[in-house]
Amino acid sequence: MTVFDPFLPAVEIARRVRDGDIFAGVVAEEYLSRITAINPRINAYTDVVADRAISHAVQVDRDRADGKPLPPLAGVPYAAKNLYDIAGRTTRAGSKINRENPPAKRDADLIERMDAAGAVCLGALNMGEFAYDFTGENVHDGACRNPHDTTRMTGGSSSGSGAATAAGLAPISLGSDTNGSLRVPASLCGVYSLKPTYGRLSRGGSFPFVDSLDHVGPLARTVEDLALAFDCLQGPSTRDHACRATHVQPTFDSLNSGISGFRIGVPRGWFDAQCTDDALSRRAQVIQALSESCTTEDITLDEAEIGRAAAYLITNSESATFHLPNLRTRADDFDPDTRDRFLAGALLPAAWIQKAQRVRHWWLHHALKAFETCDVLVVPATPCTAPLIGQKTLEVAGTERLLRPVLGLLAQPFSAIGLPVVTVPVFADDDLPLGMQIVAAPWCEEKALRVARFLEQAGVAAARSPRSSTTA
Amino acid sequence: MTKETNATYITATAEMLGLEIAANHRAGVEQFFALAKDMAASLEKASLPANDADLAPILCLPVTPDSGETA
Repeated sequence: MTVFDPFLPAVEIARRVRDGDIFAGVVAEEYLSRITAINPRINAYTDVVADRAISHAVQVDRDRADGKPLPPLAGVPYAAKNLYDIAGRTTRAGSKINRENPPAKRDADLIERMDAAGAVCLGALNMGEFAYDFTGENVHDGACRNPHDTTRMTGGSSSGSGAATAAGLAPISLGSDTNGSLRVPASLCGVYSLKPTYGRLSRGGSFPFVDSLDHVGPLARTVEDLALAFDCLQGPSTRDHACRATHVQPTFDSLNSGISGFRIGVPRGWFDAQCTDDALSRRAQVIQALSESCTTEDITLDEAEIGRAAAYLITNSESATFHLPNLRTRADDFDPDTRDRFLAGALLPAAWIQKAQRVRHWWLHHALKAFETCDVLVVPATPCTAPLIGQKTLEVAGTERLLRPVLGLLAQPFSAIGLPVVTVPVFADDDLPLGMQIVAAPWCEEKALRVARFLEQAGVAAARSPRSSTTA
Repeated sequence: MTKETNATYITATAEMLGLEIAANHRAGVEQFFALAKDMAASLEKASLPANDADLAPILCLPVTPDSGETA
């Protein structure tokens, strides 16, 4: 009897199911057993929908037996951050407060799209409260633990998405990203993520954090899986006012087209000053690999510092206003780490926010100029590898700084202006992963994915399986 | 603004909003307000053009003129 490999890529699971080498029902059972065994040590899942998973997987097997054509992700398990509506379940968004809400009547748009592509939903994943988090800590559900070292943070706020994908508890997961919440956990857990262009993927049926900044997207262990999931998730929606997609722009088939002639921009200056030597060293590895096929150029994009400040203020104010009714009546029911920020955000002067909105446009103009001479930019996703759970400060360039805001400061500038970003995991020998952002111009996800695929094939980027006994 | 000015502002604004800042939340709120103040100061480094209509927050209507839809 063959032992099922939980780290199989999604495309390979789908191929085996399609070819009749394995039943989708067996795949679902394997993952559900694995979740039971491993999740207590990782704390990635908050809800498991075993009945739904088995039912859907059995239907996939029945369709195959009946000779029906199977969709591209048929039989592939996945899970979603617990801010996505799953019909019949209450959407918690990492909070205590939302647990009082009635169960969702309908799946979120992206859940519906994954299911329509044949993927099998296993459950909902841990996250930072109301997505206001870069650490993966959560006072209500407990900290999510990094599969590579369970004493360390996963990053957030899509903490369970990063951990489940890295630990082989789901080959694909869904997360969200307002300031870096896909990219920070992807970086610290060592998996790929795609934060698409603002307005590309529908947020319909997902619990909002900051409407003008919220993005949704997938995480995966290979670039092919990431691109295939992205293709399946695309399409128009009437449930998200920001969704600008009118049709699907496939990326999977062109992944291996190469990057010859691409121009790679490497922002230095302010970005370098926010990084540990380790982060800069891993970026150098990536640039070295890319320079063999394309031109690379150091650039200055220090306006990012000011753009990041604008993102901070808009996030703080817009999210606090959204939560103001509960802040007035039940502030103690919030996670203390988010509560005090929300309370402060509710008090910010309007002049600061108006200025931040104007600066956001100004920063976008500057960033777009960079793409007149570059196809993509390469920037570390986090300043460092995963800190210890409970750690409060981080030393960067000889300065002790508050950890929570610092973890996301390299990601924040790009989501504030809606640019698409693929994060690729870069491992140093015998060390924890650290992600690199491949940032592209609006609607150019395909370019970023092709660069990611190149790095994967070059052996520079890879989602290594955890060696820790926690995932054995 | 000094720390005292921040504290005075927080008290007055919270009262206007009907927002009670409990004593055990106060230190955290002051810390994050100070951080936001630093961020607001950073914004002043941006040399925004005097004629900055392009930078104004824009209302985008969800219905395009050629879509044939009406509100």
